[in-house]
Formats: sequence, C-alpha cells, structure tokens
Amino acid sequence: MKKIHIVAIIMLLLGGIALVMSSQNLSTYSTFELASKSGAKSKIVGQLSLTDPISYDPEKDPNNFSFYLIDQSGVKKKVILNEPKPRDFERSEQIVVTGKMSNQHDFLASEVLLKCPSKYKDEELALRAQEG
Amino acid sequence: MEEIKYIGEHLWVGQVGHFLVVLSFVASLFSAYSYYHSQTTSEKSWLRLGRLGYIVHGIALLSVIGLIFYAMVNKMYEYSYVYRTVSDHLPMQYTLAAFWADQEGSFMLWMFWHVILGVILIYSAKKWEASVLCTLSLIQAFIGSMLLGIYMPFGEDTKIGSSPFILIRDVFEGPIFSNADYLTLIVGKGLNPLLQNYWMTIHPPVLFLGFASLSIPFCYAIGGLSNGMHKSLMVDIKPWALFSAFIFGLGILMGSAWAYEALTFGGYWAWDPVENSSLVPWLFLMAGVHTNLIANKTGHSYRSTYIYYLLAFIFVIYSTFLTRSGILGETSVHAFTTMGLETQLVAFIVFSLLLGSYKLIKANHSIPKKEKEEDILSREFWMFIGALVFLFSGLLMTISTSLPVYNKLMELWDPNFIGKVIEDQVEHHNRFQIWIGIFIALLSGLSILLRYNAFNWDSYKQKFTKHIGLIIVVSVLLTLVISNQLIQPTWPQNLLLFGGIFTIFCNLDYLFLFIKRQLKLAGASFSHIGFGILIVGILFTGLNKRTISANPFVQKDFLTDESANKAIILIKGEPFFTSRYWINYVGDTLVGNLRKYQLDFRQVDKNNETIDAFSTFPSAIYSADYSKIEAVNPGTEHNLIYDVFTQASPPPHLQSIENAKMVEDSLFYLSHLVYPGDSIDEEEYSVDIGSIIFDHEFDQSDHGDGQDYDLTLALPLTIKNKRNKKEYLVHPGLALKDAMIFQVPDIIDELGIKIKLSEEIFSQLFTEEQDLTYETFKVKMGDTFSYKGYNISLEGFDQNPAHKNYAPKDGDIAVSAAIKVSKENLKEFNLQPLYIIQDLQPFSIKDYDETSGLHIRFSHINPTNGEMTFSLAIDERDSQPLELFIAGDVPRSDILIVQADLFPGINLVWVGSLMMLLGIIMSLITRRNNTKST
Repeated sequence: MKKIHIVAIIMLLLGGIALVMSSQNLSTYSTFELASKSGAKSKIVGQLSLTDPISYDPEKDPNNFSFYLIDQSGVKKKVILNEPKPRDFERSEQIVVTGKMSNQHDFLASEVLLKCPSKYKDEELALRAQEG
Repeated sequence: MEEIKYIGEHLWVGQVGHFLVVLSFVASLFSAYSYYHSQTTSEKSWLRLGRLGYIVHGIALLSVIGLIFYAMVNKMYEYSYVYRTVSDHLPMQYTLAAFWADQEGSFMLWMFWHVILGVILIYSAKKWEASVLCTLSLIQAFIGSMLLGIYMPFGEDTKIGSSPFILIRDVFEGPIFSNADYLTLIVGKGLNPLLQNYWMTIHPPVLFLGFASLSIPFCYAIGGLSNGMHKSLMVDIKPWALFSAFIFGLGILMGSAWAYEALTFGGYWAWDPVENSSLVPWLFLMAGVHTNLIANKTGHSYRSTYIYYLLAFIFVIYSTFLTRSGILGETSVHAFTTMGLETQLVAFIVFSLLLGSYKLIKANHSIPKKEKEEDILSREFWMFIGALVFLFSGLLMTISTSLPVYNKLMELWDPNFIGKVIEDQVEHHNRFQIWIGIFIALLSGLSILLRYNAFNWDSYKQKFTKHIGLIIVVSVLLTLVISNQLIQPTWPQNLLLFGGIFTIFCNLDYLFLFIKRQLKLAGASFSHIGFGILIVGILFTGLNKRTISANPFVQKDFLTDESANKAIILIKGEPFFTSRYWINYVGDTLVGNLRKYQLDFRQVDKNNETIDAFSTFPSAIYSADYSKIEAVNPGTEHNLIYDVFTQASPPPHLQSIENAKMVEDSLFYLSHLVYPGDSIDEEEYSVDIGSIIFDHEFDQSDHGDGQDYDLTLALPLTIKNKRNKKEYLVHPGLALKDAMIFQVPDIIDELGIKIKLSEEIFSQLFTEEQDLTYETFKVKMGDTFSYKGYNISLEGFDQNPAHKNYAPKDGDIAVSAAIKVSKENLKEFNLQPLYIIQDLQPFSIKDYDETSGLHIRFSHINPTNGEMTFSLAIDERDSQPLELFIAGDVPRSDILIVQADLFPGINLVWVGSLMMLLGIIMSLITRRNNTKST
C-alpha cells in the first residue's frame, strides 16, 4: 500500500468521525413540550397567535420583543426575543424560533426566522389603480 | 367560450422569441451531433457543420436576449417575465439587473457566457475544438431546455422548461382578464428594492461567467478521456482551469462583499447553503488545479485531476439544483422559489455524472500511472494531500447543505419521517472547516518549500531544516503576540492563527530567498500568502467583532444570551454614549424611495477632546408606493484597521402604513372644546390656544410627497412642558383637496402627545349660504354705516371687475364695489362684492373675510336714484367652540433603533482574498508566456 493511500484512509476516518460528531448538531423541529422536557436548545416551527398581544415598545427597551406562538402540536407559549422586532412580523406565514424554555411558560429565543408569503406565488396582480 | 381580443398586446415578440428559443435549442443539438461525427470520422465537413450549428445557436440566443430586453424596456407587462422584473418606477440603469433577477434570465446569462467562451474556443482550441464544443453544445442544450416551455402530450402538468415569453394571462387567473383592455390596468411588480443597487448589476455576470467557465475544464476532460491524449490535455486544460478559478473566485468574493456592504446579514460569510454550494465547486477546482500541476511536473495524479475537474462541474449543476429547485426552502435566505424544473435539473446532474464516470472508466487503462510512489519528502506528496483536504472540505459542506435533500428522499420513503435541521449553521460549519483551514494553511506553507520528486534531498535537507525551523520559531512568537490581541481564542483558533502566519512566512521565504522575486514563479506564493492573510482576517473579524451599540446601563443579570442588548434607541438630536462613541442621530433625508439616516459618531478622550469623528448613513428603502419599508441597508465607516458597521430602523409604527394605522387606532383621543385665547391645563403640560389662520403651509417633510391643497387652515397652539419649561409652537390643521378633508396632526415627541383638529371646524368656519341671516343696507357712494360693530364704507367702483367665478360676455353690465371694513383693535381690510347683469338676469357674487367671518353681497342698484343695496351677514364662528383632540402615550416618531458593530480586520479579509486571486492571474499569465516560448 502506498503512503498516500494510508493518508487517504486516515483522512476518511477523520471525515467519518467529523460526520458522526456533526450529526449531534442535528435536531428535528421540536415542540414546546419536548423543549420543556429536555431543557435543551431547540428549534420550533409554529404560527403566530394573532389573538394574543405582540408586544414591542422600543422606547422602553429596544431589545425586548415578545409574542405568542402556536407550535405544530397546538400548544401556545410566549416567546421572548432579546432583539428588535423583525420587520413585517405580522405578515409571516410561519415562524421558526431557536432557543430554550426559560421557565414553564416562556421560551427565550436567540433567533426568530420568518417565512413570508412567497414573492410571486398566489399573489394578486399589482394594479394601476392601487397606485393613485 | 368567446375569445377575447385583447388590446395593446405585442404578441409577435413572444412568437418570434419562442421560435428563437426552440431554434437555439435545436441548433445546439445539431452542433453537438455534428461535432461528435467530426471526431469519429475526422471529416472537415462535419466540423464545419458543428461550427455552423454553434454559431446559429449563439445568434438565436443573443436574439432571444435582445427581444426580452426590448420587451422590458418597453414595459410589455403582458409578458409574465417583464411584469415580474420591471415596473414603471424602475430606473433604467437597473434593467440589466432586472434581466437576470429571475430564473429564466439567469439561465440565459449562463448560456450567454457559454456562447462567448464557445466562440473563443472555436478559434483557439485547435485539436480540442471538436471534443470540447461537442460537450459544450450538449450542456447548452440541457440549459436551453429549461427555457423551452413546451407541454408534453402526456399529462397536463408535464412541461419541459419554463418560457421567458409566457403571457401574464396564462400565469394569473382573474376577472381582470375578461377586460380586453387589461394592460392599461396593471403595473409591473418590479425588481425587489433590496436588489436595486449596483452590486446586482455587476455580481451576477461575474458569477455566471465563473459558472460558465467551469464547464470548459469539464469539456476538455471529457475530450481528453475520449481521445487519450492525456499528456497534452493536462497542459491545455490548465489555463482554462486557472481562468475559471480566478473568475469564479472573484464572483464569490463579490458576493460576500455585497453581503457585507449592502445587505443586513451582518458579515461577509454566513455559511448559507447558497453560499456553500458555490464555494464547493471552487474548492474542487482548486484541488484540480493543484493536482494538474503535479501531473505536469511529475506525471503523477492524472486520474485525480480528471476526477476533480469533472466533479467541479457536476457540483455546479448540483448547486444550481439546490438553489433553483426550491428544496432549500427555509434553510436559506436567498434561494429561488420552485419553478417546476426539478426533474430536468436532476436529469442534467445524472447526465453529467454518467458521462463523466463512463468516460473515466472507459479510459482507465490509457491514463498514465507512475509505478514509483511519491516520496514523502516531495512537494507533490503534500500537494496531493492538500488537494484531498479540499475535496474533503467540499464534501463535508455538501453533506450538510444537502440535508433538505436527504429529508425529502426520506419523506418519499417514509411519509412519517420528520426532517432534520442543523441547529446553528455557522457554528456547525466553523467547527469542521477550522481543521480544513489549519491543514490547508500548514500544507500550503510546507509544500512550497519542498521540491518536486524530492530533488536532491540529501544536499537540500540542511537548508530546508534551517529555514523551516526559523520560520516555526518566528511564527510561534508572532502567534503569541497576535493571539493576545484576539478576544478569547480557543486552541484550534490559535493553531489556525499559527497556520496562517506559518504559510505567510514560508511563502515569503520562498519568494525572496528561493526564487529571488522572479514574478514568473511567484503566482503560487502570492496566493498562499493571500490565504494566510485571509485566515488572520477571518480570526479578527470573527472573534473581535463587537457590538458597540450595547447600552452600558441596562442590567445584564437575567440575560443569558449573548445576542442581548445589541440595539439602542437614539432620539433625534440627543447624543447617546455607548462603549466607545457618542452617537448622535442627526436627522434624515428622503431621496426617491430611499430614506438616509445620518448618525454622527464622536470619540472623546479624558479631557473631552474629540479624537475621532465620522458619520455613517444607514438607510431604509420604501416600496414604490411608499406604503412600507421593504429593506434596510447598513451604513459603514471604513477604516484601515476596523470598520464601523451600522444598521438603523425606524420604530415599527413608522415601518408601514398598516402599522401606523394600527397605532393610530389604538390611540385614545380626548376631546377639548376651546375658544381662541383659552388654555388647557394638564399635569405635564399646558396648551394656549391661538386663532385660526388660513392658507397655512404645513411642514411637508413629515407628510410624504408635497401635496398641493386647495385650502388649508391651522390652529396655532403654544404648548409648555411643565417639567423643563420648554415651549413648542405647533400648527395642527385641516386641508382640503378635491372636496376631501385631510387632518394634519402634530406630535410632540417629548411629551408623547398627538393633537388633531375636528373636521367639524371646516363647516363651522365655512357656513353655508342658507344658514346665514342677511341684513340689508341701502347706501350711496361715500356712505359709512355700522354693522355689528364693524364700520363699513363704500369707497368706489370698478367697472371692469375680474373674478374667478365670473366669465364676462358681450353686453354684460358688471360692477364691483370697493368696501373698506374697520373695527377697533382690528386690522383694516377690503372686500369687493360683485353685481352683474348677464343676459338680462341680475345676480351677485359675494365677498367674504375668512378671519372675521363677514359676508357681503352687492344685491341691487336702483338706476333711478343711484341707491345701492348691500346685504351683510356674519357667521357665528366666535360663538361656537373649536373642537380639538389630544391623545397621550403616543409612540415617539423621532427615534431610531440602531445597532452598531465594530469589525476589526475586515480589510485583511479583502486584501487576503484579492491576493489569492492575483496569484492565480499571475500563474495564468506566466503559463501563457511559457507556452508561447516552447
């Protein structure tokens, strides 16, 4: 066997280990209940509850934004984000929050991703009349 | 159903365009076929037919592009592509950007470059022409099929490609299309404002030239595998590989510069799947370039070189699939939405994969191999390993990026499968790629100091050991010094820093002491030094980036996340101290649909002397109709050592009309009935009421684009802030335009109050005729009489009066009276009522004083005694109170949410990357000279 083959095999092994390690970085989209049980960092997909308050008062604290999210199993929890409120927040179809439960009731998010209605699909035509 | 004859459509554009798309597709197939035959029969006529096919293909494609531009410039919204990409408001200079903003356009841009490169190859490739253009034509046919838009006979949804000439009425459904004149009703959607900048004009052409150039090494490789001229292939393929490495690298670099300069991703690289999938082919190409060099110098690594070049192209197609199939979905910020081309793209991947593997296996025996293995002390040994590291880096990235594909496949297998996601993309990639970085850095330093075939090792050994030893010592020392400047580096990060410094010194050593600054040989060293600098830059920007807008006064106890407190609120004109600077939100300017905010930064020393001052201009872009903010752009202060990066956003209620309405609806207004001279006394402030003034000019800057009102009135109010004794003079008012009344409210941000007038005031001040009680007076010239305390005197007449409501006719008798009105403590004023006899009918036009509310009518002239009758009335404005509304707890409108970051070392990233590219160019040029001389 050539030396280069040995090196290649070693690298394959290292790569394999890297892959196995990286699979620990993977998670599935979780729910509030699972996140509460595990206490670990999780990603939750859900929808904005429009009937509950969406609160953001930049004059008081620009880094405090909260809203209520209904996860895929239908559980509703308050989500707190220590960042300014994202633009077009109310229009989002789906929200992905990353973070962990800070207590029984609140989910402390480090990241909030919005999935907005796709730009060109299912949208009405832009009419001239809307402009004037 | 009856066919509607639509008005104003230019259907010939689409018909001609579609014909040309099909022609270009057929011509590329024809060209491929002819070139294929010219290889097997080596007949000149087939070669000529192949050329002809390719030229026809190219001309047809250029005409298609021309037609689309024609439709875009002339705003032919009947075409869906035009509707999607341009609008009435889109400035002309963005037409290019709009052309490649969507999928069809970017496919055409890609093909455009293939046409250009293909023509160059027809002239320059000589013995490779037939084989290279055969494959290139096939590639063109594959991409061209994406534009066909032909429905297949089986099944309704089976469509090949998506035509750029599809009509809007075939895409959208709606009652509007039952109107034959629908085109006058629609406006283009237009380019996303986020993309309306010069980067969108320059970045895609370069990146797509990069994509296109990667096809050429692939085509050459297929050619070499087919005809077995491996040795000369390895020489001829190299310039194209280097060209591609340069231009594709430049494209990627421009992408990250754009992300840094204009977008709000907050950096130059985010490990976004779209970014990764363009980096992967470049890494494979780099692996190929290195093994290609080995092959040319030592005769090793022929097969690996083929594999890397083939892989690089296959991964370009795979990257196209990832970004254009919609499969990335929510994992990427800038992927296209789905277009129904998944199957075709997969077929393209499978085709290139099969073609590559088939040719490789078939040629396996003819590829030169060396029996003697590489010496461990030779340069090629370590270069080969470096190439393997590139491969690994790309594969690891691909596996992570392909997670959505894996999920999709698993879902097909098991519908209950729950898709997996990477928790933190940046952390995930950094954790593995840091080792890649360390290996590449060490190898690019070490291998450059070794010699091919370990030439004359025994006598070189001493020199090598001495040099490398010294470099290690210097690098370790420097690493210790620089590491001290970094904020909490981990040990792999320190190792990476060492690697970067090590490769810089190895290559400097090589450049100055080994090859004695011969530029001809310096390309590799330049690139490697650039890589080392890039690494140091990455470490500085990554570790030392810090938020300077952090509010030092907020308690941090309960916040665990490092993302906390990044933003601050700035009040216009009130400087705010952060960890390093006084930041002052000076104001904003609106130009077109871009609102620029000015932030002044000032750094002071202990004696309050300014040591540094600059301004940044972050901005917000409004939608075409100003109804909302579509995007915010950062403003950056560039310095040699660090950049200050700022983002600003107005508070939510100023972000869209929708939000503003929500806030307005939530306000609680209290009604106040007041008379001029009254005051309203509240706990925190008092309001002194003035008298109504007319024709007030409102401060237009706060009320959108300058409106021309027919009539305006305003109530001057003096408001005193009881806390700080500050006084404000404001003019809430009403404006009339086209019989519509607009309220023009005023906000006092410091008190959080908003004041507006009741619309009733209008009818109160402009009493209708039937509600007035007139009193008549019979007077003669020069008489003075008194009415309700006003002294009224008739001063004279005008026989040729002009009035906007009076159109003179021949035979008219028209007279206006000059009336002077005076009252104690009141300014004198004049009124001119009109008396007219037109067509034997007498009538009068009254005059009116807005301030006093006095109405006067010239109602009769007695021709016998010269007595004139005037009717006077006064409306009851002073007897009725004015109603105004005041709301408290109003969100401030003079605040800005600001985040400011310090980016140290960003220039090292740019300098390092540019040096890498410069090194590639140098190698390319010296290569050309070498080939010429031999």
